[in-house]
Amino acid sequence: GSFTANKKLNKSSLIFRAGVQFSSTTDKEEAMLEKPEKPSFPPNYTPPKVWTFEEQEGLMGGMNRPTAGARFEKELQKGAHDIQLYSLGTPNGMKVTILLEELVDLIPDFEYDAWKIAIFDLDQFSSGFVDINPNSKIPAMLDTSMDPPLRVFESGNILRYLAEKYQNFLPSDPRKRTETFNWLFWNMASAPFLGGGFGHFYNYAPVNIKYAIDRYTMETKRQLDVLDKQLEGKVYLIGDEITIADFAIWPWMLCIEKFYKADEFLQLESYKNVKR
Amino acid sequence: ATSLYSRKYLLAFLVKASAFQTTVPTNRAFSRTSNIMSETTKPTLPSEYVVPDVWTFDDPSSSNQPTAGARKEMKLKRGEHDLQLYSLATPNGMKINMLLEELNDLKGIEYDAYKIAFSDLDQFGSDFVAINPNSKIPAMLDTSMDPPLRLFESGSILKYVAEKYDAFIPTDPRDKVEVFNWLFWQVGGAPYIGGGFGHFYKFAPVHIEYAINKFSMETKRQLDVLDKHLEGKTFVVGEQYTIADIAIWPWIMCTIKFYGGKDFLGIDSYKNLMKWYNMIDERPATKRAFRITGFTPDAIAERHSKEDLM
Repeated sequence: GSFTANKKLNKSSLIFRAGVQFSSTTDKEEAMLEKPEKPSFPPNYTPPKVWTFEEQEGLMGGMNRPTAGARFEKELQKGAHDIQLYSLGTPNGMKVTILLEELVDLIPDFEYDAWKIAIFDLDQFSSGFVDINPNSKIPAMLDTSMDPPLRVFESGNILRYLAEKYQNFLPSDPRKRTETFNWLFWNMASAPFLGGGFGHFYNYAPVNIKYAIDRYTMETKRQLDVLDKQLEGKVYLIGDEITIADFAIWPWMLCIEKFYKADEFLQLESYKNVKR
Repeated sequence: ATSLYSRKYLLAFLVKASAFQTTVPTNRAFSRTSNIMSETTKPTLPSEYVVPDVWTFDDPSSSNQPTAGARKEMKLKRGEHDLQLYSLATPNGMKINMLLEELNDLKGIEYDAYKIAFSDLDQFGSDFVAINPNSKIPAMLDTSMDPPLRLFESGSILKYVAEKYDAFIPTDPRDKVEVFNWLFWQVGGAPYIGGGFGHFYKFAPVHIEYAINKFSMETKRQLDVLDKHLEGKTFVVGEQYTIADIAIWPWIMCTIKFYGGKDFLGIDSYKNLMKWYNMIDERPATKRAFRITGFTPDAIAERHSKEDLM
């Protein structure tokens, strides 16, 4: 196969690294140094002692940095309504726009302002946006009914905040409410494996890595099975009422099908309750 | 040598990037077969690997499976206190241990904790799956309710327990929102530190440069976000110790102590972060938290009262 073990140890590099701990190499330490390295890809790759940044190529790779913070000065636009949303139509962005549009349908006179943050133009690194979300991710929100305006970031927190503020899509019954938060948090911690894991390695990475594709496909299918079993005999995630848990999870299901084109690969049809 | 990052991928990314519109792509939209960068021209690891049309897996001996649900009948123990914790002192488990021990110090709250042994696949036992269908720790029951109320996901448990005992969440409404900003940030970010960096740097059977770079970059980015936020602050939010601090701390600890990330990721360079980290490390509740359903020589598999830790 192509897993080439580094049979020729780069002994000098090992001694250099070991030199941090040992002042001289004894027989015992020599024996330690002879341990074979893990196979690696590319075959001549060894993790350095200290990771250093190299700009990646590609449209998305090129914008990534190991540092945070504003990269240029620019204020955000603001409208007249209480809720100012700064976002994009990605799965996490959609969670919030779905909720807001539901509120528009439900509450007379409810309106909000939404502004596009073009992540490929690096809008998320403007000083105005970083003030609202130091993590430089969408969605991010300001509630300007408070003085000074209140920042809310993370899709899960925005869903929680809006649902509590407008008293909708979050059950008041303590049992159902707790269960809603169980699933909301489940989504927040599961989606990174679906997106940054599966979606990335299946769809976007410049190299098809079997190990990574297998790992994240297994996890994604596992999550789909968790969901499918939970939805057995239920209309919505927690029962008969639609909640922010549904709004959080749904856009990622859409993403599998529409953005990743992975419905056949993952046999999405077989998860009958999820499809329904 | 073939470069992984050839410029021809730039065009592929541009075409794929069009999928991120503000509207959902139409049916016509982006099809894998119309991709300019066809699958066969992407380098692969291993070199003979071809992505199948349908992914399959058939290894019943593997503890990781693409399915969920109970694999064995197994009853869980229950103690007398309100809260029953089923867990392990991994980073996510530590969060709850820390909070509960802080509540023990602050208000004398007692609870029962039971170890869920992954080596025995206890997380796939029938009682445990009924509490957490995702089969992950930590998981909890509040038996003061009838029937008992199930809690899963460390973030959900932190929120619930802090609200139940009215501690470690600010009363000031602005500070409260900020705590939840950072709590949700933590639960969304940790998968890249753990399932990403920790896995590919330390645990994976093969060192994959692409994956190690990707997740190292992201982990350092998160550390920088935190370090900048902590400038001039004692705690993550306000001037009090909250569930935001408690959620974040164990993953920094894990990166330093278990993943060997201290040198590799240059963690000492994050001065504000290290100051905050060292401060929390000194708290008595933090020290006890390691032992509860933990892995250290002084760990205890069950906890029923403060006396168990003396």
